[in-house]
Amino acid sequence: MTITLPGTGTTEVRPVGRAADGAGGRARKGRGGKSGKAGPVTYTVLTLTALVSIFPLYWTVVAGSHTNAELAASPPPFLPNASLFDNFAAALDQAPIGKAILNSVLVSGAITVGTVLFCTLAGFAFAKLQFRGRGLLLALVVGTMMVPTQLSVIPLFMMIADLQWVNQLQAVILPTLVSAFGVFFMRQYLISALPNELLEAGRVDGASTFRIFWSIVVPVARPAMAVLAMLTFLTAWNEFFWPIIALTTANPTVQVALAGLGSGYVPQQSVIMAGTLLGTLPVLVVFTILGKQIVGGIMQGAVKG
Amino acid sequence: MATVTFEQATRIYPRSDRPAVDALDLRIEDGELLVVVGPSGCGKSTSLRMLAGLEEVDTGAIRIGDRDVTDAPPKDRDIAMVFQSYALYPHMTVEQNMGFALRLAGVGKAEIAQRVAEAARILDLEDYLQRRPKALSGGQRQRVAMGRAIVRQPQVFLMDEPLSNLDAKLRVQTRTQIAALVRRLGTTTVYVTHDQVEAMTMGDRVAVLKDGLLQQCDTPATIYERPANVFVAGFIGSPAMNIVTGEAVDGGVRVGTSVLPVDRDRLSRASAGTGRVTVGFRPECLDLGGPGDGVPVVVDVVEQLGSDAYLYTTPEGVQAGVGGSGVVVRIDPRQVPVPGQTVWLRTREDSLHVFDPVTQARVD
Repeated sequence: MTITLPGTGTTEVRPVGRAADGAGGRARKGRGGKSGKAGPVTYTVLTLTALVSIFPLYWTVVAGSHTNAELAASPPPFLPNASLFDNFAAALDQAPIGKAILNSVLVSGAITVGTVLFCTLAGFAFAKLQFRGRGLLLALVVGTMMVPTQLSVIPLFMMIADLQWVNQLQAVILPTLVSAFGVFFMRQYLISALPNELLEAGRVDGASTFRIFWSIVVPVARPAMAVLAMLTFLTAWNEFFWPIIALTTANPTVQVALAGLGSGYVPQQSVIMAGTLLGTLPVLVVFTILGKQIVGGIMQGAVKG
Repeated sequence: MATVTFEQATRIYPRSDRPAVDALDLRIEDGELLVVVGPSGCGKSTSLRMLAGLEEVDTGAIRIGDRDVTDAPPKDRDIAMVFQSYALYPHMTVEQNMGFALRLAGVGKAEIAQRVAEAARILDLEDYLQRRPKALSGGQRQRVAMGRAIVRQPQVFLMDEPLSNLDAKLRVQTRTQIAALVRRLGTTTVYVTHDQVEAMTMGDRVAVLKDGLLQQCDTPATIYERPANVFVAGFIGSPAMNIVTGEAVDGGVRVGTSVLPVDRDRLSRASAGTGRVTVGFRPECLDLGGPGDGVPVVVDVVEQLGSDAYLYTTPEGVQAGVGGSGVVVRIDPRQVPVPGQTVWLRTREDSLHVFDPVTQARVD
């Protein structure tokens, strides 16, 4: 059935090409206009900030590519040297770095997937679902952020020991599969980024609550989920306190293995730095993959206000 | 297609002592386009959301056809809704947006494609099926929202101010298209708007709400010609009907220094007990008379619209701007007086609306 409507042909506000041109024109104006132009002061400040931020990583490369004796010289070396791969080999020889990296990938990956999934679910519930006691529950969740991790270590270790999970990876994965910060972060994002009408449209279209979550909420929340994933992965990768209690050097994560490298009467700074560099590389890879999403998420949040 | 019936349907929001919708009794016939209109906070959107299942019904019932859907979830009501903001899924293409409900309902891929293509043809969206909502203009988004409703072939369309985000010119164009489309499809439609022009131009019938209470439900012509009370009289029509309350005297109602003629029967019934009468007359029902012929008024402002001209005046003997006492007159745009000039207005007795000043109800 075809229905010819009066004026249908003239409904277009403007041709598509012109619409795109218009948008492009505005974007060009924004970038090239007086207000959008960065001056020398901005460039200087940004360059200095970038240098200060990147220096620790650069110093890791420099220190990791020299011998201990070269590092002890005055002035210290400021350029990378040829000993990097020797130091890598020494680090891999002195501590199970390879196994530690694999363990850390598994642990951080599992924690990241779990945290993002559970925090998004809980954040959605707290942001958009109506249920009795919602405010009180949220206050309880946020309140747990005020309890120091150290307080819960002994009971947690007793539970882990009872489960015979000491020195097992699940001992460091399960206790951190959801975080109060993540729940609060996702809730705040969804409150502002997810209009109620979108959920109502889903309900009218016949979607169940879980289908609404999966097909509507998750795509909308993706930028925030990427940010949370990045933060969670970094935190899990750098976590030292609980893994060194729950794991041993026989089955370590990267940080536990690096602690092993640093022990001894004369710590070999160059080997430690080479090991640290090895342990940092996966994090750099993750950042490269998620970087675009993260910037998108930050921008989207800014635009939505 | 089905009838829709509200039976004493009431909604009281938590922490509110006043019902948002108060004992609404309304029947929408099969295939009818009913427009619910009223000012902000009158309960029009709430009633629509009650029908959609997005808002609880505290007391009373809602039926679609013979089915009592009062407690049914939205997906079991066989309705489709067009939201004010369109509520298009931002991550889906136009095609996916339109086919989403069908996919959830387990309709086969071939049928989904066929129904989406047909809706796209009807709405002139064929070239935009692979675009995402952000790459569409306001008018196109509005049509996608319509398309999403059409493909479901529901028993009832619900539309919640679907034109309010469009510019004035596109709004006029689109309202004609929606009205034509809905009538061709023959689907029962409930359309909510705050714009009385939309209500008058689109609806088979118009329901006027105020403070959660149904004021009148009738054809646009009847609502305009015979408003049930002072609120409806003042709300429907642009510019609004002139409404003045004055002392009932022999032969009519005193306004300023003059008397508007009202027949004895209506005068006595409307003024019973108070000695005062409220009368209303539309701007187009006044004629300019010669000096001394009619009610003398002073012209405050002249609005020249090209096809018409409107005079904003104050009756002589009444202080300008006091208690909404001004009188608006539509006149021939070729002979307009100047501000400050005194003109004489003649009312046509048959076009005078008489209301009881206490109950605000119409007196016939």
